Amino acid sequence: MNKQAEVAVAMRGITKQFPGVVALDDVTLQVRRGEVHAICGENGAGKSTLMKILSGVHQPDAGELEIAGQSVQFHSTRDAENAGVAIIHQELELVEELTVAANVFLGREPRTRFGFLNDAIAKRKAQELLGLLDASISPEEMTSGLRVGDQQLVEIAKALSLQASIIVMDEPTSALTDAETERLERTIATLRLQGCTILYISHKMDEVFRLADRITILRDGRHVCTVNKTETTASEVTGWMVGREISEHRFRSQQTVGKCLLEVKDLCVASQDSSQSVQLHNVSFRVHAGEVLGIAGLMGAGRTEVLEAIFGASNSQWQGTISLGGQAVSFAHPSDACKAGLVMVPEDRKRLGIFLNLNVTENISICSLFHAIRNGLLSKKAEEGIVAKPMNQIGIKTPSLTASISELSGGNQQKCIISRWLLTKPHVLLLDDPTRGIDVGAKAELYELIDTLCQSGLAVVLTSSELPELLTLSDRIIVMAEGRVTAEFSRDEANEKKIMTAATLA
Amino acid sequence: MLFVSLRSMRPCYLVLLVLVGLGVTGCNESNVNSPADVKKAAEGPQRFIFITNGDDPYFDVLNAGLQVGAEKFSLADKSLEVVMEKNNATAQGQIDRLRQLVTQADVAGVAISVIQAENVAIVEEMKRLTEKGVPVITVDGDINQKLFSDGRPYYIGTDNSIAGRLLGTAGRKVLESRGVTEGDFIQFTGFTDNDNARARMNGCREAIGENYSEVDRMADSFDHSRARDNVRTALVNHPDVKALVGIWAYNAPAIAEVVAERGVRDQVSIFTFDAAAQAIEHMANGNIDCMIVQNPFEMGVQTVRLLLAMHDGQDAVLTEMFPEFGQPEGDKFTTGLRLIIPDAWENDEDAPISKKDLESAVSAGTLEVLSLSVFREWLKKYGLSSS
Amino acid sequence: MKLWSPFPLHALRRWWPSQNEWSLLVAIVLAIVLTALVDSNHTYFFRPFESLRDIARNSAMLGIFSLGAAVVIIAGGIDLSSGSMIALSGTVCSVTMLALAPTEMMAFKPVGSAVVFIAVLASLLTGFFVGTLHTWLITVVRLPPFIATLATLVGLRSFARALCESSTAVLTPTKSALINVADPAFKVVRDNVWFSVVTFLVLAFFTWLMLSRTVLGRHLKALGGNEQAARLAGIHTENVKWFAYCFGAMTAALAGLFYIANESVAAPVNQGRGHELNAIAAAVVGGCSLSGGVGTVQGTVLGAFFLRVVIDAVSKIIKTGADVYEGLIVGVVVVLAVTFAQGVNGLRHDRRILPGSLGLCTIPVLALLAGSLASMTTGAASGVAAGFTAFIALVALRIWENRSHDKKAQVSNSQ
Repeated sequence: MNKQAEVAVAMRGITKQFPGVVALDDVTLQVRRGEVHAICGENGAGKSTLMKILSGVHQPDAGELEIAGQSVQFHSTRDAENAGVAIIHQELELVEELTVAANVFLGREPRTRFGFLNDAIAKRKAQELLGLLDASISPEEMTSGLRVGDQQLVEIAKALSLQASIIVMDEPTSALTDAETERLERTIATLRLQGCTILYISHKMDEVFRLADRITILRDGRHVCTVNKTETTASEVTGWMVGREISEHRFRSQQTVGKCLLEVKDLCVASQDSSQSVQLHNVSFRVHAGEVLGIAGLMGAGRTEVLEAIFGASNSQWQGTISLGGQAVSFAHPSDACKAGLVMVPEDRKRLGIFLNLNVTENISICSLFHAIRNGLLSKKAEEGIVAKPMNQIGIKTPSLTASISELSGGNQQKCIISRWLLTKPHVLLLDDPTRGIDVGAKAELYELIDTLCQSGLAVVLTSSELPELLTLSDRIIVMAEGRVTAEFSRDEANEKKIMTAATLA
Repeated sequence: MLFVSLRSMRPCYLVLLVLVGLGVTGCNESNVNSPADVKKAAEGPQRFIFITNGDDPYFDVLNAGLQVGAEKFSLADKSLEVVMEKNNATAQGQIDRLRQLVTQADVAGVAISVIQAENVAIVEEMKRLTEKGVPVITVDGDINQKLFSDGRPYYIGTDNSIAGRLLGTAGRKVLESRGVTEGDFIQFTGFTDNDNARARMNGCREAIGENYSEVDRMADSFDHSRARDNVRTALVNHPDVKALVGIWAYNAPAIAEVVAERGVRDQVSIFTFDAAAQAIEHMANGNIDCMIVQNPFEMGVQTVRLLLAMHDGQDAVLTEMFPEFGQPEGDKFTTGLRLIIPDAWENDEDAPISKKDLESAVSAGTLEVLSLSVFREWLKKYGLSSS
Repeated sequence: MKLWSPFPLHALRRWWPSQNEWSLLVAIVLAIVLTALVDSNHTYFFRPFESLRDIARNSAMLGIFSLGAAVVIIAGGIDLSSGSMIALSGTVCSVTMLALAPTEMMAFKPVGSAVVFIAVLASLLTGFFVGTLHTWLITVVRLPPFIATLATLVGLRSFARALCESSTAVLTPTKSALINVADPAFKVVRDNVWFSVVTFLVLAFFTWLMLSRTVLGRHLKALGGNEQAARLAGIHTENVKWFAYCFGAMTAALAGLFYIANESVAAPVNQGRGHELNAIAAAVVGGCSLSGGVGTVQGTVLGAFFLRVVIDAVSKIIKTGADVYEGLIVGVVVVLAVTFAQGVNGLRHDRRILPGSLGLCTIPVLALLAGSLASMTTGAASGVAAGFTAFIALVALRIWENRSHDKKAQVSNSQ
């Protein structure tokens, strides 16, 4: 009996099917009370689906679920909340136009005797919870004005207000700075002390190994194994996740740096709509053929704005000098940049990159359609011919050439977008956070791709929020903070601490 | 099984099939079945169709006349019925309706109140029906006879020029009796290019005399709220206007209401066409001076009589209805007009209009002068609320 | 057996209809068969060619500017002003003819082919101007397409009316709200369905060619699918939009010419009023998605044809007073068609039709609708009966859904 009470969550034989795909196949999971249990797996492994079943979003096709030894069935998230399960999604679900307190109690607002909203009680209770989490946020602040890290704490406060004993966190640090990550880790420790059980989905090995007690690995909808942290290593876990060993590839071992292909001098952008965009002040750097220049910086430092200004995709006017291959250029439209041999792969491929209504071939060929014209009209055969080469070279996995692009994994989608631009035979490639939301296996492939491209003489400019990635790939790193370049390091000089210091310098 | 064979059909054959089908359609323009074959094919009662120009209670009265006529002439025994189709105040609506009727086999006759007198397409569709052997007549709204002399054999309705002139004469008398010997007047109608509207407005202008000038004709496209707005605009633009003339049935209450709203009743004289239910009320309250009322009820009854006669080839009836057929205006059957005056004027010698004034018209049989209460009794007799 | 052909037949394989289009085709055939049987005149049996001619004419006229609506929708925009553009185009054409040949126009005599040609050109040019105006409002002034075309929806018709009245005031003795068009060129078009049908099919073919086999067409689809991504992919989105809106307005202008031929009059007060919604309905029923990027010419053609078949069916079955019910039936049919078009993939097998309290409230609404429809068409007694039956049926459905949901829960529990 005692042993049963120790188990906070038990999921047995869970199977879930969606039209055309088996998301979970006979998965078993046991989480002990009070532990931090990490769940690791590639994208599509089924982690999110499993957690959605636990939190009542989905109902399993087969299998059973036990909370604290009692068999339960959740028909809605409300049922799960009543049983003490709260989930903090990767995409935060706060209403930006409401205050913090309103968000914490959304759907369960405290009321006065007459049924009206009782803001005073909401404010007080929210303040208590935020205090518990060591968050310096006022409950009356507008959620839209909060940084992502603070928004996340609001979500955790919401979970606490539910008196959840089981909290699920889905990739919580994907949008956090290091400082905020540290704060989150302290919060998790606090929650543990209070007796909460925490399920932590992540594929960042360093975090997992810092926080978790036990680790469960899922692959392709199946349970691979559950191990104690102390009994395994990061590379073993990663190996289980992808089903093969990932070797620590030594990138950038061959560097043959050529002449300067892109030079930016004193780039200044003063945007009209001051609310969102960052102002750039005297940004200068150079990139040479065969070189990877990494741009580091916090969110909001202006990295994307620099790339957009160079590519001709910026909404604001810029001043300064941009030289491509020695000649001063000023691109008014991305098509001009493309013709001159400079291309950009934007961040957030779903919003800015892929065309969901077009298939894989069409997504890749979109910039090279003129080469597919036969007898005055577009020829499907010619299109497929053009697209075949990069698909093979880069290794895009797709069910068929005419499959919808939404069927591809994130990594393969990103490869499609890169191929799209590579077909235009560029000299300079700008990559804006290219590995975001891509699983470990695909990331490694992208690193290799970037390496190969450099070796063939391209100049690559790369922004990333992951410092280890930048350190792995870049030949030189410049650091930006609040629209300015604050530091420049060569590959040998750079380390995480120096970069973080430069990035947080006002 | 069907899908399997369809799938194996190459797409180009499908395209060819469709094109061939359409081609055969085009070639078969003239290949129309003869009326006799078609009639044999139809089941159920044959129909006389009345197509209005728009939707107005005026036509409900006409419909009452149609149904009374149906009983009177025993349509049911002959496996016939008469129905009314209300148009949506557009020419396209009438054209579409006529086209539908061309394809239907159970149409025994068509009467239409044409919405645009010079619309070639409407006349063409009417002729197409006639070619198929379906009798087609115009009622209440005619086509332009000068342009389309062979469009239709007969017309039933008011002689709108005479009606207009009568209203103009009556209006003049009212104005003179009030000491207004000259001034401006404005006419209000739905469409200014509708035949009956035009004829009335022109007749009115002629008869009212040179002392008074028509400063505007305002159209509201059958939109009742715009009818009111037009009156308001008129009063603002022409503050000295002496008379307001309503040409279509719903214009009368529009004018009366706005004038009462603006409180200028003592400055303008109001004379109108047709007796919409609210207009009758307004006259009882003294807001309208006089009305020229058509007899849509009678139009309905005569329509059935004429269509039946044309359908059965009853030449005697045709000669009776149109004794002067072949002479100008001989193809028109005019239904009576009435001038409705307030009860107070009936026996008052000093009233603006008395029965004696319009004796010539009265003796010609084209006009009846009635006081309001007598008119209302007539309405009650037939269970009508308007005319 | 291989067919030799200079035309790349294998390319036509791309033209092969999708499932949605096959379903539309089946629906069209069903509607025609239903009408042929239920119509007491059996008009489709006895007068097939005349009926087909009328339906073909109406489909062609609707289809011409439905193609324009579809292209704009595929490009991610919307054009609410097609009906008013039709009125304006007709007015411009007739005003031009009136200006160049006033005596002939007023006397209902032919104005000469040169004049007609110039007038037609003027109409199409007006379409180009309106399309340019739309693009300017949307790309430079940054109005949402809904708002920009809403403004032209009312503005263009008013402009047309003003144009009509002021030009007739100057060129003819009296100011008039319409201009009669009696030139034999237009009469020929009116009498021969061929003209509009062939124009429509040729236009459909070139539109199909443009959309599926040209770079511009691909750019249009990309723009509709994701405007920001299109711009970042180097597509000049303003130019593509310019093309789309001009195409929309010019097809409406072309349709306007057929409208005035059909009616023998240019009457901007009501001509084409509300017809833009028919065009949008045809495009959507044919598979276009209002969020952009999705749609085919084949679907739009079938959609226009389907709508006209349904409207004709209503007129044939409900002989007198059909237009009273036409809107209701077309509305229901459009809802069903679009639900089917979207829903075949979207319907999950475990979704309930009457969920929760929303479902409970929907039961009386649907029962009332059924009951009032039945009583309006067949009398009070049957109306009450129909409403009652619907109510019972829906309540039974709800109970059944609850039961099977509980059963599913029990089953998974016991596993």
